[in-house]
Amino acid sequence: MRFDTVIIGGGLAGLVAGISLQKEGRSTAIVSTGQNALHFFSGSFESLEQAPERMKDLFGEAGIRLHYSPGWRLMPMGSFREAALSLEDVSLLPEKHFADKTLIVGLPGYLDFFSGFLADGLEREGIPCSLRTLQLQEMQALQQGPGEMRSVAIARLMDRLWEKVVQELRVLLKDEDAVILPQVFGLRDASIPDRIRQGIPARVIFAGTMPPSIPGIRTQMQLKRRFEVLGGTYLAGDEVVDAHQHEGVVHSVVTRNLDSHYLEAAHFILASGGFYSKGLKSNPFEVTEPVFGLDVDYTQERSGWYAPQFSDDQPYLQFGVRTDEGLHALREGAPLQNLYAIGSILGGTRPEFGSGAGLAVRSAFAAVDQILENRV
Amino acid sequence: MNMSPKEFDVIILGGGITGAGTQRDCAMRGLRTLLIERSDIATGATGRNHGLLHSGARYAVGDNESAEECIRENRILRRIASHCIEETEGLFITLPEDDLGYQKTFVDACQRAGIDAEIIDPALARRLEPSVNPALIGAVKVPDGSVDPFRLCAANMLDAKLHGGQVRLHTEVTGIIREGDTVRGVHTLNRQTGRTEDFYAPVIVNAGGIWGQHIAEMAGVSVGMFPAKGALLIFAHRVNNLVINRCRKPSNADILVPGDTVCIIGTTSTRIPFEECDHVAVTPDEVDLLITEGAKLAPALSSTRILRAYAGVRPLVSADDDPSGRNISRGIVCLDHELRDGVKGFVTITGGKLMTYRLMAEMATDTVCRKLGIDKACETATTPLPGSEERSYEAVASKIWESPSTAQKAATARMGTGASRIRSGNRLDDALVCECEEVSVGEINNAIDRLDATTLVDLRRRTRVGMGTCQGEFCACRAAGLLAQAHGCIEREREDLRQFLQERWKGNFPIGWGDTLREAEYTQWIYKHVLGL
Repeated sequence: MRFDTVIIGGGLAGLVAGISLQKEGRSTAIVSTGQNALHFFSGSFESLEQAPERMKDLFGEAGIRLHYSPGWRLMPMGSFREAALSLEDVSLLPEKHFADKTLIVGLPGYLDFFSGFLADGLEREGIPCSLRTLQLQEMQALQQGPGEMRSVAIARLMDRLWEKVVQELRVLLKDEDAVILPQVFGLRDASIPDRIRQGIPARVIFAGTMPPSIPGIRTQMQLKRRFEVLGGTYLAGDEVVDAHQHEGVVHSVVTRNLDSHYLEAAHFILASGGFYSKGLKSNPFEVTEPVFGLDVDYTQERSGWYAPQFSDDQPYLQFGVRTDEGLHALREGAPLQNLYAIGSILGGTRPEFGSGAGLAVRSAFAAVDQILENRV
Repeated sequence: MNMSPKEFDVIILGGGITGAGTQRDCAMRGLRTLLIERSDIATGATGRNHGLLHSGARYAVGDNESAEECIRENRILRRIASHCIEETEGLFITLPEDDLGYQKTFVDACQRAGIDAEIIDPALARRLEPSVNPALIGAVKVPDGSVDPFRLCAANMLDAKLHGGQVRLHTEVTGIIREGDTVRGVHTLNRQTGRTEDFYAPVIVNAGGIWGQHIAEMAGVSVGMFPAKGALLIFAHRVNNLVINRCRKPSNADILVPGDTVCIIGTTSTRIPFEECDHVAVTPDEVDLLITEGAKLAPALSSTRILRAYAGVRPLVSADDDPSGRNISRGIVCLDHELRDGVKGFVTITGGKLMTYRLMAEMATDTVCRKLGIDKACETATTPLPGSEERSYEAVASKIWESPSTAQKAATARMGTGASRIRSGNRLDDALVCECEEVSVGEINNAIDRLDATTLVDLRRRTRVGMGTCQGEFCACRAAGLLAQAHGCIEREREDLRQFLQERWKGNFPIGWGDTLREAEYTQWIYKHVLGL
């Protein structure tokens, strides 16, 4: 099978690159193992103070509404964090003391939403809280299974029940001017969080839960759908296991499912993520990039990989594949002419692109620009 | 006789297995007991070993007396502590690089000590234990097993409480109250609340393990300890079902013990300065040695994910007349300081092993009773611990629940008959906190209410919450919510969660590669960026 570009990795970086290329008429395939960092996305785009115009356009066309209003966001464990560019689900508060009194509403038996921690955080800001749980008849079947009360299962149910939740909240609401709910609304339909906000006469804030992240999963689905609508080929649940390269040029890659049907392309983009996503692999002696055998920037001595304090910055998170100025990945010191590395597989090797979501989006656009400019 | 709530017949210092066992024995003999532990149960050597239920075979050649003690206690523990024990059996294997001639010396010594050691065909050994190094040239089967030291410690303490004993965890002894040549009591400081309190008793038992040296100093006597660090690795899978040992003189990394869902290889042995006892760390060299040597016992270890590295300090005692520390005894040391140093009301029980804790407790309690003029026989060798009244956990589970779920069976395997105390049967109590080890809300609350757990790390020791493959990534927050509900202080719980993550990382980074590093990256992301801890 031949494409203009084959992208390895279906996370934020891979999807942004794939949509941009496909939109320019370049036939693109994305190979995705199925898991990526969007599944535990907080909802705020780190190190992207202001969205590049083309990002806003790209997300808008995918049906994802972003909003930019620098302020505070309430974190699941009750702390406040500065944030700016976010998904619409995320409330950005102008000040920490954003309400006179809040109602925190949990779900019975749902241990992944931390009402007590949230209440403590708010009370520190002088905001009194009342804590309630919302019992819905329809949730009982879910609660029967000891391991079923998790975000995705609840969100599936809430796609159907959210209007009932609004009714119940109207009853529970007394004199509070803000309501805090777990972020389990709007898995399929991105408009639900906003419709809940409109239905309740108080400020509604969705506070994060343990992953998987509902807005993250939805965002991933929306971007993937957009890519496919544009004619892109999304190979889900597959994995690139090998590559054919000759004299500094990558010719094709081999996937687990397609086996001898190689994916050939003029350009390749490696967006396979960091350690968690297996873009980088490690053993006691080295850190490697498993598909192309790229040069990885890391500390030789293993004891230098870690900071003994968990909360300190961990050196291993800075490890990443080496690239030239134009993001061409290096192998044995020389750039592969048609292979671009983007997103978190770069680790901290390209600080000018930022980190997290910022790194993913900026490096994706940079690689796309190269591909659109140079035909190999 | 009415006593002030601060007066007891005996105060036991140290919440390891020796202290817990001594408290149980004293309480069963009718004494009013108080146990004081500066941290949590089993935080010293008790919880930092293989969890091997020694048959005694390891000591048979070098120390026949210890071997005899081990096999006697091994049989006793199978009866009284069945819910803490797995009767796995064990192998002593000879590899091509070992001297097969040693096998006969070994078996003869085992038989002298009363240990059933049976030479079996290497082919049979491979069938009994498929993970064993297939190159083995000799095998001996022995009655080894595995023991969960946390459970054993908690059960002893629970029984002491059922007999009227009191327990103060996270409470440090800051001074010993001495009047002339007599020890009268202790000054304490609760490390969680900052509260100071004095307690009094005619006899105080020092069961502080390696830290017993410091306690003795406070009482004005000298007990020279010889700190020897041992490093171990926990693997994420239960590779073996039988304990695998090397049939040679005891050496580094030559025991592989299965336990619950994991297996453990160890140990090393390095003398460390006394000041380092509180901060022992596992070095990369130790990790490499443990993996290399471990793979000789079971080759699969070289490709099995490692969950954690940890180290303990053996409480070895320097002999009194040997200040150099060369003449080390691994046996039990019970010192009546009135006879030894002329200090009345103070007893030290130390040395020994996890395996012989009950015997140590008996010796200490005999000494206490003699000093108090009490004549009552020890019954700990025959009375089952709470939870061990019946031996089959499956039978127990079926008695408690009509059709027990896997989580309920898992809870029964952990708690024995004590599982009947878990609130259950409604969906909120049955909800799972920890999916790796199948721990329910009910079991967590039981550990908080009945087993004195006050922190996440305490909970891990009592329930295995956070001990599984995710190492607490998901369950820690859930359990933190339950703890916060119980003690009502969120800020304390937030700090507790931070300490739990740090404690976890301490055991992870020495083996931080492969899947462990993947998990670590994920945890960093979740706790820092998603949850905002």
